[in-house]
Amino acid sequence: MIELRNITKKFYQKTKAITALSDVSLTVPEGKIFGVIGASGAGKSTLIRCVNLLEKPTSGEVIVDGQNLMELSSKELAKARRHIGMIFQHFNLLSSRTVFENVAFSLELDHTPKAEIQQRVSDLLSLVGLDEKHHDYPVNLSGGQKQRVAIARTLASNPKVLLCDEATSALDPATTKSILALLKDINKRLNITILLITHEMDVVKDICDEVAVISEGQLIEQGAVSEIFSHPKTALAKEFIASSLNLEIPVDYKERLVAEPATDKRPLLKLEFTGQSVDDPVLSEVARLFQIDSNVISARMDYAGGVKFGVMLIEVFGTQENSLQAIEFYKNKNIKVEVLGYV
Amino acid sequence: MSDSMILLLAKGAWETIVMTFVSGFFGFLIGLPTGVLLYLTRKGQVLEHRTFNNVISVVVNIFRSIPFIILIVWMIPFTRALVGTSIGVEAAIVPLSIGAAPFIARLIENSLIEVPGGLVEAARAMGATPFQIVYKVLLPEALPSIINSASVTLITLVGYSAMGGAVGAGGLGQIGYQYGYVGYDVLVMNTVLILLIALVFIIQFLGDFIAKRVDHR
Repeated sequence: MIELRNITKKFYQKTKAITALSDVSLTVPEGKIFGVIGASGAGKSTLIRCVNLLEKPTSGEVIVDGQNLMELSSKELAKARRHIGMIFQHFNLLSSRTVFENVAFSLELDHTPKAEIQQRVSDLLSLVGLDEKHHDYPVNLSGGQKQRVAIARTLASNPKVLLCDEATSALDPATTKSILALLKDINKRLNITILLITHEMDVVKDICDEVAVISEGQLIEQGAVSEIFSHPKTALAKEFIASSLNLEIPVDYKERLVAEPATDKRPLLKLEFTGQSVDDPVLSEVARLFQIDSNVISARMDYAGGVKFGVMLIEVFGTQENSLQAIEFYKNKNIKVEVLGYV
Repeated sequence: MSDSMILLLAKGAWETIVMTFVSGFFGFLIGLPTGVLLYLTRKGQVLEHRTFNNVISVVVNIFRSIPFIILIVWMIPFTRALVGTSIGVEAAIVPLSIGAAPFIARLIENSLIEVPGGLVEAARAMGATPFQIVYKVLLPEALPSIINSASVTLITLVGYSAMGGAVGAGGLGQIGYQYGYVGYDVLVMNTVLILLIALVFIIQFLGDFIAKRVDHR
């Protein structure tokens, strides 16, 4: 549905050329949700703007719904854009218009008859769950409600494709969940293909089918979400996965933590499970083999693509010799072990 | 104060009001599209055009740098050709409009710059044409700020029209000049001042009131 072929985008500042994207290619099949993840400045904003030509690529081809957008005149492009929806991090609602009028905006651009606008806008506002807000101005809405209005507005012109530019980055976690659920619902119900960019791995994990990792203007890794989560190849992908599984040591443990072993202290271990780790009941095996008791302090485990991955903080009760053997055992199972200290 | 003097002051006040608002209207008629063009042809905007932008910018700056009292005199041949005379209210409206237009153009340009760029981007993404962007996004979003510009402009025009009174424009300015500066009639001069002050206050009050009504930010 969306195909980018060898997109390169250069910005010129006086005499210096800055390459924002170099030779980026990706394909989003119809009905899928595709996520592009990257740190700020990696080029993801430029990438998504190239899809509807808000930024014109320096070279390459942009094909949306079988149409090569680079070959269109500005008039034809405006028309093609009506079938490519887009929502933004900061919503970009018109402050001078009510919720109803904002949603009506894209229909007005097409000179839709008044009665039809009335009907369509009402339908859309109930689809996004804002039946009661027709005559409110955006200033009186919460962030989540604003994004719902923006979604309704972009759906008004029956897009086949929806571009989400950090659509949940300005929202709190609970609101993020509800907006992601709405996007997923739209994707399923209206069969709209979604391309989203984000810096949060949680967004990708929650709704994406496929993901690409962007760094310094290049897609360094892409594939099915389960594949990337279970077998990340690049360090950056691993980092993003780790950030979504970040575990903090609880405060009172932190206070007691010392770097060197002592007689009354027990080791605090961080176990990291990746796609390569052997999927065995390791904690109980260790208990049986080395007479070691493990106290799970905090853990975050996930399951994707048939593999288990995640992190776990455990406090180990046993002799020093047995503890070392246990660590060796974990390592043999391809579990990454880090001794954080002694508590 | 004699009845005839009161009548004269009333007529003068009316003439000042007419000059201010009519020239304000024509000033906007020229200044608004110019301001929009200045904005649209700026770097990074939808109709970016460097040469065009520079040319209008230079013309606007030239007209803004001519002192108003000189502009009136300088424009006499043009004013005569347009309205047939160079004295009186109608004649004053011509240089007042021309004097206000570049000022308005800059104010409009600045109001449009304040509109968040994301709104224009969103409109482009929805397939809006440049014309639709102007009248459906930029102007409505900048309206509160444009109304504030209008009150600033009208108040400036009150001052300009009074200045014009010294060279035969009519209105309160002329009365103040003749009876105050030439005849030194303290009562008339102060009455003129109070009337001008009242007019400025009313314009500012109405401007603030309307701007607040249309502001939903």
